[in-house]
Amino acid sequence: MVFLNLALMVRARGPDEFWRKRRIFKLAAHYRSRTRNVYSFAIRSVHRALAYATKGRKLKKLDMAQLWTTRVEAGCQQYGMGLETFKDGLARSDILLNKKMLSDLAIWEPRSFEALVNISRERAAVEGLPDIKRRSAFNQVYGLRNLKLD
Amino acid sequence: MSFLAQTMRQVLRQVPSRTAALAGGMRSLSISPAFLQQNKPATESVDISAISKDQQKECSNICERINQQVAKSEQGRLFAVVHLCGKQFKITPGDIILVEGYWPPTIGDEISLDKVLLAGARDFTLVGRPILEPGLVSVKATVVEKTLTHTKTHFRKKRRKQYMRINFQRSPNTMIRINSIELARPVDGNSEAEVEPSKRLF
Repeated sequence: MVFLNLALMVRARGPDEFWRKRRIFKLAAHYRSRTRNVYSFAIRSVHRALAYATKGRKLKKLDMAQLWTTRVEAGCQQYGMGLETFKDGLARSDILLNKKMLSDLAIWEPRSFEALVNISRERAAVEGLPDIKRRSAFNQVYGLRNLKLD
Repeated sequence: MSFLAQTMRQVLRQVPSRTAALAGGMRSLSISPAFLQQNKPATESVDISAISKDQQKECSNICERINQQVAKSEQGRLFAVVHLCGKQFKITPGDIILVEGYWPPTIGDEISLDKVLLAGARDFTLVGRPILEPGLVSVKATVVEKTLTHTKTHFRKKRRKQYMRINFQRSPNTMIRINSIELARPVDGNSEAEVEPSKRLF
């Protein structure tokens, strides 16, 4: 196609039909049935797939965060502790491990995780978080102001 | 509010023994969270120096055992949780970790990761608040590879609205090999930074 004037240039649809379609067909090569072979079907499913892939990259991050939360919660429940109290207790003791690390520790380093749970529980008991039934040993014996963690 | 306080005081004067019950009743009306309202037990008079000595003894005992184990090098392989480029990684010697996005160090750079949040071995764990004191655990690493990610297609389309955008993006990736994780000096209870903190914290 020769672009003799501006009007034609605007109407031109880009590369040759074969190459334009081949780009789509290459992406649709592994699809099933007519979405693989029929252009009008193929382009529809390719567009949908690309849009899903774009959205999925964000969803993956959210899904992973949810998964880590679930794992950490399960890890706490082994020791009879709620997730919120656990996180609160850690934050109040200035331990700033994130959810990913806590879930990794819960799976691969159970003894370290148990230590973290103990630290958090003791801190929660000392500060009197509502979820902890047991009174802190420190509170009962020595009083709050004698607790020196630093 | 002052009226309420006055009434309370009158009631309390009449029935001094029910102070606790009344306070409990008022507590349920309050909007501040429950843990702020708990009755903290009164601090008893105890010999503080004895306690601290007791704690110190226990603390030094634990440190002693860790140091002995490290001195005999029976601690096995250490692992550490480090903070790098806004993310936390659980690493052990020999690992390769992937730093996503722009990050200045180039191939062959030997770096030390100083923000160690947690370090552990088979029998002990050192927990930083929030990071371990500088110079206690030395994590050495080498930048192995700098590449780009695969091409990500950013595609948006609205049906029946003649709206379609397609963009392609590749972001830099850096791979780092963890060479060694070691306890640089013996663990002691007092947290004094003897080593001058390095100027760069990776």
